Amino acid sequence: MFRIIKKSLSTGVVTGHYPAVKSPSEPVSREAIEKAKPFRRSLTIREVDTGSCNACEMEMNALTNSIYDVERFGVHIAASPRHTDALVVTGPVTVNMERALKDVYKQTADPKIVIALGDCAINCGVFKGSYAVTGPVERHIPVDVRIAGCPPRPAEILAVLDMLRGARTEADK
Amino acid sequence: MPDGQTAVARVQEAFPQTVMQVGSMHGVPMLRLHKQDVPAVARYIHTDPQVLGSLSLLWAVDHRPREARYELCYLFTLAERKDWLLLSSDLAGGEREFASITPVVHAAKWYEREIRDLFGLIPVGHPDMRRLVRHEHWPKGSHPLKKDFVWDQVLERVQGEYAYRKMHGDGVFEIPVGPIHAGVIESGHFRLSVAGEPILQLEVRHFWKHRGVEKLFEQQRLTEAVPLAERVSGDTSVGHSVAYCQAVETLLGMTVPPRARYLRSLFLELERLHNHIGDVGAICNDTAYALAHAHCGRLKEQLMQLNDRLTGSRFLRGVNRVGGVVLDLSGPQLSQVDAELHAIEREFVEIETILFANASLTERLENTGVLSEHTAWDHAVMGVVGRASGVDRDLRRDRPFAAYHECQPKVAVYRYGDVRARMRVRLDEVHDSIRLIHTLRRQLPTGPVVALSVDPPTPGQWAISAVEGWRGEILYVVMAGEEGRIHRCKVRDPSFVHWPAIQWAAVGNIVPDFPLINKSFNLSYAGNDL
Repeated sequence: MFRIIKKSLSTGVVTGHYPAVKSPSEPVSREAIEKAKPFRRSLTIREVDTGSCNACEMEMNALTNSIYDVERFGVHIAASPRHTDALVVTGPVTVNMERALKDVYKQTADPKIVIALGDCAINCGVFKGSYAVTGPVERHIPVDVRIAGCPPRPAEILAVLDMLRGARTEADK
Repeated sequence: MPDGQTAVARVQEAFPQTVMQVGSMHGVPMLRLHKQDVPAVARYIHTDPQVLGSLSLLWAVDHRPREARYELCYLFTLAERKDWLLLSSDLAGGEREFASITPVVHAAKWYEREIRDLFGLIPVGHPDMRRLVRHEHWPKGSHPLKKDFVWDQVLERVQGEYAYRKMHGDGVFEIPVGPIHAGVIESGHFRLSVAGEPILQLEVRHFWKHRGVEKLFEQQRLTEAVPLAERVSGDTSVGHSVAYCQAVETLLGMTVPPRARYLRSLFLELERLHNHIGDVGAICNDTAYALAHAHCGRLKEQLMQLNDRLTGSRFLRGVNRVGGVVLDLSGPQLSQVDAELHAIEREFVEIETILFANASLTERLENTGVLSEHTAWDHAVMGVVGRASGVDRDLRRDRPFAAYHECQPKVAVYRYGDVRARMRVRLDEVHDSIRLIHTLRRQLPTGPVVALSVDPPTPGQWAISAVEGWRGEILYVVMAGEEGRIHRCKVRDPSFVHWPAIQWAAVGNIVPDFPLINKSFNLSYAGNDL
């Protein structure tokens, strides 16, 4: 017990200890900000992997560690599409995942936003053209926000979520 | 116990009537057989107590348009000295059938189903002829790795349903999980048959994420496919790119400069470190021990930020190229690595003490998800999972590559095969990786980091490369095509071997322990599905 307390005290607060990133290459559109408005300061995310190499998943997971701690901004990761405001889709959409993606989209209650995370979700990346890939996410479901990168750094994902959030606080004024 | 050459002699002695050609490919002894003789010889190699070969890889090649034949290759790793032995046989002309070796060598099960799907060749006598890679909605006759299959065609969608293995009985019901899971993890399907809490049967159905990686390789030039190799399985970017580069370097006859070999080892160990530390935390998290998860997640993040500072990529992408490495590390950078790792190891020791002082954690881990030594052998399991089940294999020691000749790892082997053993292997390897990185840095030679390019190899030449990634053995077979292109690239992530094995580790455990068992294996879906 004392060991645990000692460790916690000597570690201190680590949240926010990450290098700053440049603002995202593609700004979040006004429509997307408008669409994200109902979620105010609480945004629940469901992550769907449609064929990524798993690096994007690792960065999504990193968002929940104590350094990025995405929950401090009211962003939660839900276990079911039914509990979700935003779908985060990673990877090119494979032939085998196409139907699952459409099903998940249908299962998600309106209003909802779709975030394409990573280059593969946006333009299929290195997998472009393959017989097993049916195209980028927006070929199947409407995409509101794009976060480029292979994979995007957690801080970059956070910056985009911030923009969605920041717009809301401005509108609140 | 024999080395490869004596094993060949023993096989010849045991099968005096069988016609075989003896050869070798880049130092790997090779036996060419008639296809009907393969099962008997494979059985002998697998079961003879003097040979004890475990199937490491089974792949097919379509030799068209140069020759109208398919070739099947079986790579065995011999038990004692870990030498390789290769069997190969041809399917000439219009032949479509070959004798399955699955009834005698269990580890061939998924490989043969994969070959059936991707090449349309039929393993006669295979006990499970369901589709593996091509889900049921793929049209008949679509076999992507046949040379007449156009790589960028659009497939039509047909009706069809996968037949899961059914279990019947009073109170038996099924729990379907996936393909989309509750956590932030990759896509795959698990079908649990349970009676109350205990799992009676687990069936893994994957390949949802099949992206056609091997076909995509065939569209690339030998020297330019490294970015694709890095994206086979993102968490093993270095492992896969080193394995790919080594295969191509063997083909091109390149000698990688010593400094580049050392840096490759260093990057491999950095990759092992952040993944292992993350896994230890994730295992604890699945027992609801959030404190350990938080500490490990923090250390993992520190390591990934270190990677970013060193190379500009948190996943160490873009560091490897054919012939060496792209970037060199400076003296101050290496001192920074040293200092940071000292701090991390100090903290990690404290966290370990906290972990093992917690009985409610260790009791969850002990005797959970046991993969017996026997089952591990049957599935030819290796890597972290194998070493936790008494399989003493580590390519860094057995077939040294990169700088591991001069910098040997201590191989951690445990026999219990439970979640705790898999965690212990990771804990030991974290310490050993840190030790290795310090040693590598001390011994780091000076000089160039990239070899000069050489002329393209003759079409049809091929090379095997093996790398001990943080999960286990990553194997690449690369065959050169016309004008420096790739004719065939077989990729084998350890996950492909371990997924069938996890089905056995889960049996008899309770449902809430399945996520824990799955996490202790921590397999790649992307690397499996390709």
